[in-house]
Amino acid sequence: MEPVLVAQALNALFGIASLAIVALGLAVVLGLLGVLNLAHGELVMVGAYCAWVAQQNGWPYLTAVPLALVVCGILGYAVERWLVRPLYQRPFDTLVVTWGLSLLLRKCAEAIFGLGYKSLSEPIGGTVDVLGATYPRFRLVLIGVSAVVLGGLVLWYAKSRTGTRIKAMAGNPDLARALGIPVARYASATFIVGTCLAGLAGVLIAPLVPVQPFMGLDHVLMSFFVLVVGGLGSVGGLLTGSAVIGGTNSVVSALSDSTGGYFAVLALAIVFLWLRPRGIHART
Amino acid sequence: MGHDFIPARRRILTAAAGTAVLGTGRFVRAQANDFKIGFFIALSGPASLFGPTQRACADLAAEKINKAGGVMGRPVKLIFTDAGGAPAETAKSAVRLMLEDKVDLFIGSHDSATREANIATIKAKTPYIYSPVYEGGECSPNVYCLGETPPQQAQPATEFLAKEKGAKTFYLIGDDYVWPRKSNEQIKKYVAQYGGKVVGEEYVPFGAPNKFEEAVTRIKGAKPDAVIATLVGADNVNFNRAFAGFGLDKSIARVSMLLEENTLMGVGAESSANLYSCMGYFANSPSEVGKAFKAEYLAKYGAKAPQLATIGADCYSALNLAKAMFDKAGSADAKKLTAASEGLAFDTASAHVTMRGRQVDKDMYLASCKGTEFEVFKTIKAVKSGTACKV
Repeated sequence: MEPVLVAQALNALFGIASLAIVALGLAVVLGLLGVLNLAHGELVMVGAYCAWVAQQNGWPYLTAVPLALVVCGILGYAVERWLVRPLYQRPFDTLVVTWGLSLLLRKCAEAIFGLGYKSLSEPIGGTVDVLGATYPRFRLVLIGVSAVVLGGLVLWYAKSRTGTRIKAMAGNPDLARALGIPVARYASATFIVGTCLAGLAGVLIAPLVPVQPFMGLDHVLMSFFVLVVGGLGSVGGLLTGSAVIGGTNSVVSALSDSTGGYFAVLALAIVFLWLRPRGIHART
Repeated sequence: MGHDFIPARRRILTAAAGTAVLGTGRFVRAQANDFKIGFFIALSGPASLFGPTQRACADLAAEKINKAGGVMGRPVKLIFTDAGGAPAETAKSAVRLMLEDKVDLFIGSHDSATREANIATIKAKTPYIYSPVYEGGECSPNVYCLGETPPQQAQPATEFLAKEKGAKTFYLIGDDYVWPRKSNEQIKKYVAQYGGKVVGEEYVPFGAPNKFEEAVTRIKGAKPDAVIATLVGADNVNFNRAFAGFGLDKSIARVSMLLEENTLMGVGAESSANLYSCMGYFANSPSEVGKAFKAEYLAKYGAKAPQLATIGADCYSALNLAKAMFDKAGSADAKKLTAASEGLAFDTASAHVTMRGRQVDKDMYLASCKGTEFEVFKTIKAVKSGTACKV
C-alpha cells in the first residue's frame, strides 16, 4: 500500500482514539448521571497541567497519571458533593453550575500557571515505520492506551457487580435505592470516575498540544458532537460516535482539507440532531 | 494582531468575563489638562496572554514621555480598556471613552475585526493608532498603522528560503481569514519571482479545534523544499509540533509568519529545528534601539518582567508615534495630524523608522529558532509597507 495511504489511515485511527479518550469521561457522566458537565474540557486541562508539573519537576512521565487522577478525583468529589448533588434532575441548573465551574477552573489555571503556552516533550519520541509509512511513536502509544482504557471499562461495566448496580441506578434511581443500593455513593463514584478519565485524557494529549488555560474549549466541542451522534449511556455509542465524528473529520480532511473535515462534522451533527436526536445507540 | 487570537466561538464564552473587566480604566481620574489616551489591549480572553506585556510597555513609554514634558506639553494619561471580548463590546467602550472620558487619542493593539468595529464607531472623530502586525491596506481617515504588512514579511521570508535554503518548491498553510490569504498572495508573487513553485496551498478553519496530522501527511506527500505557515496562536503551535512529530523538521525548512516569543515557547525546543520567523520585532533584536528598549524595560520591571514580544512592544512604539505626531502637528486636528504623519521620523521598540502614507516602512528581522529562543541572523533595512494611504 502507498505509505501516504497508510499514514492517513493511521491518522484516522488516531483521530478516533484521541476523540474517544477525551469524550469518555463526558459520556460516563452524561450517560449515567444525566449531568452535562460543561467543565469537562477544563478537567482535561487540569490533567494536562498535572503532566506539565510532573515533567517540570523531572519526574517520570508515568507519575503524571496518579497525580492527575488524585487531583481530578478530589475535584470530582468536591464538585459532585457540593455543586451537582443538590441539582440532580435539574439539567439546566447543572449546565449553568458546571459552566461557572469551567470559568473558575480556567481562571485558577491562569492564576497559578499564567496564560502562556506550556510545551511538554513527548515521553516516547521519534517515529516508527508502519508498512512503509513513518509515524510518530507517541501517537501510536496513544491509540493503544485509549483502546486499553476503553476496553477495560467496557469489560468492567459489563461483568462486574458494581457495573450492574450502576446500571440499576442509572435506569431507575428510586427503585435502586429501595433495593438497598447506595445510590448517592454510586453517583459520587461515577462522577469521580468521569473527572478522573478527563484528567487521564489530559495527561495523554498534553505532549501533543499547547497546554494553556483555554485548551479545554477545543477538546470538549468535538466530544459533544460524539455524544450527539453516538447517543448516551453506552460505550458502544461512544465508540460509534468517535468513529463517525473522528473518522469523518480525518478522512474528509485527508481527501480535501481541514475546512472540509470540519464542515462534514458540523453537517453530521446537524443531521443527527434533526433526524436522530437520540443518536445511534440511544439507551431506551 | 490582524490575527485573531480570539476565535469567535471563544469570544462568546469569554464575553461575560470580558464585561467584568471592561470597567478597569474607569477609576483613573484624569486631570483636565491631561492628554488622555484610550488604550485598547487584551485584558480578557486568550489574547490576554499579551496583556501584561502590552501594559508594561505602554507604561514604560508613558513614563518616558511624561519625563520629557508629555504630549504637546500635557501629561499623558493612559486609560487601559479591554479589547479581548467581542468587537462590538470594545466599540461600546470606545463610545464611552469618547463621550465620558473625552480621550484625545485611541491606541489599539488587538485583532482586525475589533479595529474595523472601532473605526466604524469612532468615525475619524478621534485619531486612532493601530499598532500590531496586520494584513495591510487600512486607509480609513485619521487612522495610523504601525504593524508589519504582508509585503514586509513575505519578501524577506521567501527570498531567504529561495536563495539561502535553495528551496524550489513551497507549501503554504494558513488559518482561513484575511491575513493569511493576503500574505499568501504576496508570497506566491515572490515565489514566482525567485523561480520557485507553489506545490500546495491550504487553509484550516479559523477558531475551530484543528488537528494537523492529515495536513502534515499531505505535506509529506507533496515533498516541498519549504513550508510557509500563516497560522496563528494555538494552531501555529499544534502544526509545528505535529510537523516535527512526523519527523519532517529535518528535511523541510519552515518559516512561520507569526511566530513570536510566546508561540515559540508553545512549539517547544524539540519541535523548533529548521524553523524560522520574519518579523519587525524580536526580544533579541540586535539593533541598538532594540537593545536600549529592552534594557530600559528590564531595568523598570526586573527579571520577572512579562515576556517581551512583538505584541506588547508595539504599544511602546505607538506611544512614541503619538508623541512625535502630536508635537509636530501641535493640534489634535485630523488634517494637521495626517499632514504631520507624512515623513515623520520616530523610534519603534527596535528601530528608527519613518511613517509614509500612514504606514511604516520597517526594518525586518529574520530569525532562526534555537530551542525556545530566537537568534536574529539577518536585518533587512526599511522594507516598504506596500500600502500608501492618502495624506
